[in-house]
Amino acid sequence: MLTGYPRDNGKWGVRNHVLVLPARAAANRAAELVAQYLPAVVAVAHEWENLPGDPDAGVITRTLAGFGANPNVGAVLLITVDSRDEQLAHELSARGQRVSVVAMSEHGGTVSTAEAARAVASELVMAAAASREPMPISALVVGLECGGSDGWSGITANPALGIASDRLVAEGASTILGEVPELVGAERFLAARAVTPEIGQEIVELINAFEHAVKGLGIDIRGAQPTPGNIAGGLTTIEEKSLGAARKAGTAAISGTLEYAGSPRGTGLYIMDTPGHDIEQMVGFVAGGCQLVAFTTGRGTPTGSPIAPCVKISTNSAVFGNMPGDIDIDAGGIAIGTETLTSVGESIYNALIAAASGVLTCSEVHGHREFAVRRVQ
Amino acid sequence: MAIAPFQPEGYERPNGRVGIRNHMLVLPSVVCATRVARDIAAATDALAITHQHGCLHVGDDLRHARDSLEGVGLNPNIGAVLLVGLGCETIAGESLAQAISSRRVNVDYVGIQRAGGTTAAIARGREIVEARLAELHREASGIFEPGRLLVGLDRSDDELVEPLVREMELRGAAVAVVDGARGGAAHLRLAALGAQLIVSLCGGHEAPLGFAGCPVVAVARDRETYTMLRDDFDLGAYGLPVGEQAALVADRVGDVCRGRLTASERRGSVDFVLDRLSVTM
Repeated sequence: MLTGYPRDNGKWGVRNHVLVLPARAAANRAAELVAQYLPAVVAVAHEWENLPGDPDAGVITRTLAGFGANPNVGAVLLITVDSRDEQLAHELSARGQRVSVVAMSEHGGTVSTAEAARAVASELVMAAAASREPMPISALVVGLECGGSDGWSGITANPALGIASDRLVAEGASTILGEVPELVGAERFLAARAVTPEIGQEIVELINAFEHAVKGLGIDIRGAQPTPGNIAGGLTTIEEKSLGAARKAGTAAISGTLEYAGSPRGTGLYIMDTPGHDIEQMVGFVAGGCQLVAFTTGRGTPTGSPIAPCVKISTNSAVFGNMPGDIDIDAGGIAIGTETLTSVGESIYNALIAAASGVLTCSEVHGHREFAVRRVQ
Repeated sequence: MAIAPFQPEGYERPNGRVGIRNHMLVLPSVVCATRVARDIAAATDALAITHQHGCLHVGDDLRHARDSLEGVGLNPNIGAVLLVGLGCETIAGESLAQAISSRRVNVDYVGIQRAGGTTAAIARGREIVEARLAELHREASGIFEPGRLLVGLDRSDDELVEPLVREMELRGAAVAVVDGARGGAAHLRLAALGAQLIVSLCGGHEAPLGFAGCPVVAVARDRETYTMLRDDFDLGAYGLPVGEQAALVADRVGDVCRGRLTASERRGSVDFVLDRLSVTM
């Protein structure tokens, strides 16, 4: 049975973290020191300095606020430098998140800030304490991701994940497909599945805008997409990678497109404007409200999110065996006939529900908490 | 009265450079390897950098990111580097390790995929780091001539810059002044350029950053900024004639290049900020 934590704003979390969020890079060390001795809280670090005139201030603030307001977070401890960082506290409150602010300027530096913040964090842990309750599946939002793809991705793990995604959507949950650079070549096929012609047009425009931006840079993306690892894994072109990547989203109708870190307004399958970079993408998904990520990998990647369980699915059994403890499910049996797309699809669905309901994923066990914020300028 | 030259104390490197610190650096080539890098460093005396990059860069941005990571590994304060890669990233850890090694810096490499996942990569990394650290701890430091010291200044638009450059040069050091980058990105450029020490000038409520392996002397340029974050600054430089301010900063630089820890080193700040030249693919 799916269980989670009901939130005051009507959303449901599948974890109940207290997040220590530095408002800018100069607060990273204080945030890290707070979390160092408090296992019940999790800190992230990022590279944004909030320098005056940064053209990315809007998207970064939206991402950090969305991440902190994710329903997997019961409370946020925001470490600011001074009042210039208060915008982020307002954004978190506006999204219905419980937030306490500790300003470094009021404590004379990093170490004394961390000491003061530790007491606040302990209070937040108590204030955010909650028990799991039966959760409606319509409240679940799952990110669909692939990283380190190989020639098997489009044959085994991705279509099996597509089956799980279709079932989630049919039951009323939401899933989000991203990785726009890896949808190049699949735009017509995806647009034909949009719930309205207008949304179909939005999908085509989203993918075209990326291709346009790349042409504007006057560069060839072939050094980056497919990556050297993809090529070693048997992928030859970005089109081949894309058609395989798109299969993660099954066959369901597409309800809409989302900006980076944007939240779906309804339920169903959405496409988010994210880069192919695994961590920038996962942070965008989580900032947009995904409580859970399903992540297929051909080359083998151990990464996870600081606040969201990430169910890792290998496309081949060799990588599953080679990285013990890093990958949750092996879809490699499909290639040798010991499993079918349907059977692995069901395993993925079951693992997602179990992870949401409290079973720790491999990346959580290892403490993988990678974090990266997309820049657009 | 003649000004006494700096008397920096440090470590001779096989490539002819000298460091004023003797760190082992665990450097992830890609964000996906940061957890493994941090866990290795946390179990040892090594420093680890955490960053968000290494995959799906293109063009000038790819060159800049790669050169920056390489430059950090080549900084003379670093006695040995453990490069940690995943195995499928754009900035391949193994080729980065080779590039650093070709400049006669001690480098080892662990790839997470090839090592057999997170647990195996951490275990392998710890073995390597412990062996390298034992070698580093056996190295003796010595006094070197001040002309081999490169001091980095993180901004060019401050009235203190000119007297400070003059003061450093009078004491025998070379100076690099960053133009066109600010904050953490300026520190990264200086460290990659080979500066053994960075002087950071902070005014108008700017909070100081640290840098992995490279001591940052944080100088508050006004009373309010200094008062606000007194513990995170090494000194305040304001209210006096600029020549005297420059002498105060230079005195502190002299102490730090003889082993005195900076505020950033004491609090353990190893900030890393890369300025991106184009979007991630």
